[in-house]
Amino acid sequence: MATDMLAERDALRESTGVRESTGPGGLVLRRLSKRFESVLALDDCSFAVPRGRMLGFLGPNGAGKTTAMRAVFGLVRVDAGDVLWDGRSVGLDERLRFGYMPEERGLYPRMPVGEQLEYLGRLHGLTATAARRATRRWLERLGLQDRCAAKVEELSHGNQQRAQLAAALVHEPELLVLDEPFAGLDPLAVRTLAEVLRSEAARGAAVVFSSHQLELVEEICEDVVIIDHGRVVATGHVDALRRGSQSRRMELELDGAPPGWLPATAGAELVHRRDGEVRLLVERDVDPELVLAEARDVARVVAFSYGPPSLADLFLELVAR
Amino acid sequence: MSGPRTISLVARREIRERLRSKAFLSSTLLILALVGGSVLLARVVDPGTTYRVAVVAPVPPGLAPALERAAQPFDDAKVQLRVVTSARAGRQVLEDEQVDALLLLSDDRLVFRSEIDAKASAVADTAVRALRRHLPPEPELATETLNPPEEEPGDAAVLVAYAAGLLLFMSLAFYGQWVISGVVEEKNNRVVELILSAVRPQHLLAGKVIGIGLLGFAQLALVAGLAAALFVGGAFDAPAALGGDIALVLPWFVLGFALYAVSYAVAGALASSQQNAETAGQPITYTLIAVFFAGYVALSADPGGAIAGLLTVFPLSAPLVLPARSALVGVPPWQHALALVLTLASIYALVGLAGRVYAHGLLHGGARMQLRSAWRLIHQP
Repeated sequence: MATDMLAERDALRESTGVRESTGPGGLVLRRLSKRFESVLALDDCSFAVPRGRMLGFLGPNGAGKTTAMRAVFGLVRVDAGDVLWDGRSVGLDERLRFGYMPEERGLYPRMPVGEQLEYLGRLHGLTATAARRATRRWLERLGLQDRCAAKVEELSHGNQQRAQLAAALVHEPELLVLDEPFAGLDPLAVRTLAEVLRSEAARGAAVVFSSHQLELVEEICEDVVIIDHGRVVATGHVDALRRGSQSRRMELELDGAPPGWLPATAGAELVHRRDGEVRLLVERDVDPELVLAEARDVARVVAFSYGPPSLADLFLELVAR
Repeated sequence: MSGPRTISLVARREIRERLRSKAFLSSTLLILALVGGSVLLARVVDPGTTYRVAVVAPVPPGLAPALERAAQPFDDAKVQLRVVTSARAGRQVLEDEQVDALLLLSDDRLVFRSEIDAKASAVADTAVRALRRHLPPEPELATETLNPPEEEPGDAAVLVAYAAGLLLFMSLAFYGQWVISGVVEEKNNRVVELILSAVRPQHLLAGKVIGIGLLGFAQLALVAGLAAALFVGGAFDAPAALGGDIALVLPWFVLGFALYAVSYAVAGALASSQQNAETAGQPITYTLIAVFFAGYVALSADPGGAIAGLLTVFPLSAPLVLPARSALVGVPPWQHALALVLTLASIYALVGLAGRVYAHGLLHGGARMQLRSAWRLIHQP
């Protein structure tokens, strides 16, 4: 059953056209270190975002995600390490081909949306005509075409977020770095953004975004990197990481189980319990049949599933404090 | 992307944004109205000039009506004739300020007390020519003065000097405030993070200062241009040469603005997020005020003195003091040159330093950067 789920999602990714092959080039963060006073924000942090791939950048608050992203744009001067694009050290010329959505959103409040996007496009090297065309295209794509002449401060919160996204995309960047792009979005906007990011990766852009919405990351990203205290604690393909975990997830829906029932099987850890549903993490070598048999002894088993832990489970396992 | 292209993009955005706010247009119109209004006011207060001219008897017939006719084009000026018995008696009434000029028809001379009035001599010249039925262009009358020109600057010169100083002071403070509020706003609403991901901080600084400076220059050029034209055209009862002193305001605005606007920008970049533009800019504004008043006091006390001379060439005060002193007593060419060289050198040093501090200040979120760490930043290789 778990295998089916994975296969189904792989099929979904295929259909969106995301390339699975790791092409040459893209972004490489090589052994970055940065200390702020007494805090080590980045500690020998290395990872890569190949072109055409979408990387979920995970870590608890204060893990160093924002610092790493700002380092890509030279907004923080690292103490050691390099940021490379296609194997070359990143300078201003490379950055003009990058798109950035900073953690703290900000546009010129009194400048009309369309004019602002054109300006940002031109700052990234577009001609006036190309900037105008790209602005119109993105405003339409994000449903802001009616708000082109409106000042940013007159936009609703959701529309401001869209304008901010358009600002990162208007110059058709080869690398897209987004700091918490999904934070504060409603489910519709989440879907739109996910589609935009998928199509950007399909176009060949390297996409990296940070997020705390692990279910979402699991759904849309093929690769993740997890950092903690400025260090990379896991990196790779989401499914490979999940399969490589030492634990397995087990979900049971029971009818008539005694309250507080738990299997006696060694190493079973309760993750979640509600009504008849019990979610467990067990050691990888625990035989699921044993747990199922135990459950059958006390109740009627309505549903049972077994498989690799979710990304959220894995995250908690890796950054347990 | 090339620096000049980026700088021009940033500068054009600044100009568009400021023009959108209407503050620029309304303040320009207000100042133009004030300059225009002062001409009008001068007319209202002084409904018409009356030239008192002494003539040695016998007066040729037709002189009085000829003078009246000649004076008419000059804002309906009137001429009052006073007949004296001899040239000697005429000099006496001129010295006693009972008349403004003495017309000596026998030797074709027009004598003033200490300063030649261009209008009065034009009126007399035209009238005498008409009387003798001579054709232009040779002047009928030679002009001279009874005494050497006075050392004391005239009322008009004093007015021009203080108006120029005040105009420069206000322009520097006003447009400097635009620069700092722009910088602080960009920093506080975090848009600077996005901009600096694609633009060098030095280019952002340069574009901002140049954009706002161009607006200030345009406004000042309109105002100073109008005033200078009015002086040269004789709209005020003042020497036309003062028009040149007014024009001096323009290059010194450029130099002063480069110096002060860059300082304002750096102060804005160093401001903490809690500070608003006004408090962050206080050190610069106080410097500007101190320099303005020092210049005012020094020029009032002794415009030719050593302190006034020092303030003329000192880079922080030169932009305010030099044009004013030039209107009052004139500034020797070597002081013009020295002030220019010293100010340009200061701008060069300041811009180099500002580039580094500005970049660091903008990205230094939260707490205000200590002077000490700013100092370290300047001195690191």
